[in-house]
Amino acid sequence: MNNRRMLMFEIIRGAAAILVALIVAMIFIFICSDQPFEALRYMLVSPLVSNGSISMNSIYTIFAAMTPIIFTGLGVCVMFSSNQFNLGGEGCVMLGGFIAALVGIYCSTGTYLDMVIAVLIASIVCAVVLYIPAVLKVKLGASEMVSSLMINYIIMYVVLHFLNNVFADGSKGSVQTFPFAETARIPQLVAGGSKLTWGFILALIFTVLVALFMYRTRWGYSIRMIGINQNFAKYSGMKVGAVIILSQIIGGFLSGMGGALEVLGRYEVFLWRDLPGYGWTGVTVAILAKNNPIFIPIAAFFISYLNRGCTLMATYSDVPAEMVDIIQAVIFLFFAAEKFLAKYRQKLVVAGAKEELSQKNAAAAEGGQK
Amino acid sequence: MSNNEYVVQMKGITKVYPNGVAANQGVDFNVKKGEIHALMGENGAGKSTLMKMLFGLEQPTEGEIIINGEKVSLSSPMVAISKGIGMVHQHFMLVPSLTVAENMVLGMEPKKGMFIDYKKAVEITEEYAKKYNLHVDANAKIIDIPVGMKQKVEILKALVRGAKILILDEPTAVLTTQETAELFKELINLKEQGYTIIFISHKLKEIKQITDRLTIMRGGKSMGVYETADISEQGISRLMVGRDVILTVEKEKAQPTDVVLKVRDLEYTDSWNRKMLDKLSFSVRKGEILGIAGVEGNGQRELVEMLFNLNVPDAGTVTVNGQNILGVPQRKIREMGVSLIPEDRMVYGIASSGTIEENLMSDRFDKKKYNKGMLFDMNAMHEESDRLIDDYLVLCKSRKQEVGMLSGGNIQKVVVAREFSSDPILIIADQPTRGIDVGATEFIRKKLVELSREGAAVLLVSADLNEVMELSDSLVVFYNGKIAAYFEDTSMLNDEIMGEYMLGLKKQTEEEVRRVCHE
Ligand SMILES: Nc1ncnc2c1ncn2[C@@H]1O[C@H](COP(=O)(O)OP(=O)(O)OP(=O)(O)O)[C@@H](O)[C@H]1O
Ligand SMILES: [Mg+2]
Repeated sequence: MNNRRMLMFEIIRGAAAILVALIVAMIFIFICSDQPFEALRYMLVSPLVSNGSISMNSIYTIFAAMTPIIFTGLGVCVMFSSNQFNLGGEGCVMLGGFIAALVGIYCSTGTYLDMVIAVLIASIVCAVVLYIPAVLKVKLGASEMVSSLMINYIIMYVVLHFLNNVFADGSKGSVQTFPFAETARIPQLVAGGSKLTWGFILALIFTVLVALFMYRTRWGYSIRMIGINQNFAKYSGMKVGAVIILSQIIGGFLSGMGGALEVLGRYEVFLWRDLPGYGWTGVTVAILAKNNPIFIPIAAFFISYLNRGCTLMATYSDVPAEMVDIIQAVIFLFFAAEKFLAKYRQKLVVAGAKEELSQKNAAAAEGGQK
Repeated sequence: MSNNEYVVQMKGITKVYPNGVAANQGVDFNVKKGEIHALMGENGAGKSTLMKMLFGLEQPTEGEIIINGEKVSLSSPMVAISKGIGMVHQHFMLVPSLTVAENMVLGMEPKKGMFIDYKKAVEITEEYAKKYNLHVDANAKIIDIPVGMKQKVEILKALVRGAKILILDEPTAVLTTQETAELFKELINLKEQGYTIIFISHKLKEIKQITDRLTIMRGGKSMGVYETADISEQGISRLMVGRDVILTVEKEKAQPTDVVLKVRDLEYTDSWNRKMLDKLSFSVRKGEILGIAGVEGNGQRELVEMLFNLNVPDAGTVTVNGQNILGVPQRKIREMGVSLIPEDRMVYGIASSGTIEENLMSDRFDKKKYNKGMLFDMNAMHEESDRLIDDYLVLCKSRKQEVGMLSGGNIQKVVVAREFSSDPILIIADQPTRGIDVGATEFIRKKLVELSREGAAVLLVSADLNEVMELSDSLVVFYNGKIAAYFEDTSMLNDEIMGEYMLGLKKQTEEEVRRVCHE
């Protein structure tokens, strides 16, 4: 079918989905708010606009929020593509952040190599950690979903143990590490309080790299084929076990990198006391992006915008926080609904096919005349 | 208003799939009560599509369907079943992890209190199996039974649901000659009881033998309805393909040389303690086609699995050019030059949501030719896939189309194209022409002979007796996991001789059979 027509359709569909979702959201807001328009403004407009004009700073804030979930989203995307429902990305973010912090504190060389080393070590450690559920799956058939979920909590408590008992800065009132070396911090991309760092650029670069990896290399191809039909992959001669492990190692690597960049970019000390949630959001992002790496940043933008808007609404308007969660879920639902506007799409398709046929018939008739 | 002579009337049916393929264009299709009506046409002509609409699986874009004189909207198979329509699909629709009996009653389970009355399910299964003379093992899991039996389960499933109009989409593609004959007896029996049967098949002989009328489709359009008695096999294929088709392959005498595949004393007992392979020994030589004939379930499937490390034998050896291939990873087996057309294309043959190109490349994507450093050489891949699509007449919009959306026969062509084009020294072809139309069958058979004459060793397993006899240079008959007979020259053979060996009525001596080892 006509590609341009299809693209038009996707755009119309996106817009219509948002519109319907907003109407539904509005109904909720009108029910539970005395100042519904005020609340709506916080949700829809405030993430981008402050004091009546578009604020670059607000945009940067959203970009900054996108950075870790692009990484976790990419990680999930690679793992899900091989049909491995590994949810260890969440733990990897925390572990990656913690390891990077330690390297930044205790192994500083005093040069800007610090941040490269810190991020790389953190990513590699996380890759190794997700090797565990992968091997358990391949060698023993243990469900990677269960073992990776458990690993998340093991990671959390191990990190907390070391944070509390070994690496805490005793001079501070709250539990936190010593500050990282200046040279280990990820430089800001823009001045101001947005916390937008070079990590964002790296996230975009990795999006392209992962897309290339998945669609243009033998490993990515194997990952996808195994995800579709493992029997087929095996019969074709692919190294199924090795590739399943590879996909999860990559997932761990990417998630760990996201965590490291987040901690080294946003903070000066490590102080997370709970799983940060970026890993779970990464799953949502990957599902929205239909496991296609190229769509990950778009999905991440959408989620970040929505999160920000909902936070603002919950903070500044009288809509209760629970209601905000519901509204967020509704919007998400409409966006992800595959069948939305399917009838309309079918009409477009039929029109396209008819056009094509009549052209062919006309061409055939012409050919006949000659 | 409507003609009561017809139980099914489909008028002006057009179907456009979501990907823009117009699979049916203004098709009229009428079936009389109590007739066996054939639906014929090339791969991708739109037969399955038309039938899926009659069974409520797909919705027509335009047109109307009239059942028993009443205009109906078949919005789901549920509705179609309630109108007395049953369908046996081209690709199996059974739940592999459940037993035959469980599949049989799926969605209409007999209950005992809150629980499924499994005993009753088995009873029902056995009762119907007996009544319609279609023998199945009620307690076996679908995953463990051969395709022939799966086919019977599918037919029984439709009958259990009270179908009066039966749609059979290529039911005989997987059956042996005997099984087909048996099935036909039953179909005629059903017809006499007033059932109406719509029958899709690519086998002209069968069509001539059993049907009353036939509708021919081509390129999504109906080419007309004929009384079967009034039209010859040639006439049918000319209408289908637009030219004459010659199914007898001209082949020069084989000049076999060295042994390529050497199977010795292979033994395998399955999980029900059935001896599927019993000290099986044979060899296939370079330049010859060795056919395996036999009723399905006599060890053919197990043998093929062993040869590609998809199963492990209890004892025995298998070598290719002197190198062991038992327990060797498939990658190594392929590197040695072995290729396999698997029995069931949907299980091993393809990744159905992958593109045609991705499916054609699955055994060669890591070759140097298709890589430039770390990245794929997309141009090389496109070139190769376009060439294969052209050479093997795969009907599709482009190489980017999803394989699962092709018609059954075209999926098979994708598998064959890949397996034939890897310069194999040994080709294991398990039902290579299953579900392929006459034109393409002719092509694939020619290709197989050509490859063998160029020096490949070919092991051909086929349920189609004519095909094995026609194509093979020499031939063995499997019975109970053993070779019952070896015929060095197939030209003297006929159905009758074969039948006796296949049913175990006759057996050659050990010495006679031993000749197939070429020692
Ligand atoms: N689900 C689908 N989505 C898109 N296109 C489809 C789908 N199913 C079939 N098609 C296309 O519709 C056309 C007709 O297919 P259909 O399966 O009806 O052919 P057929 O006559 O049954 O062929 P065969 O003898 O090979 O089974 C083909 O071009 C096929 O690619
Ligand atoms: Mg079909």
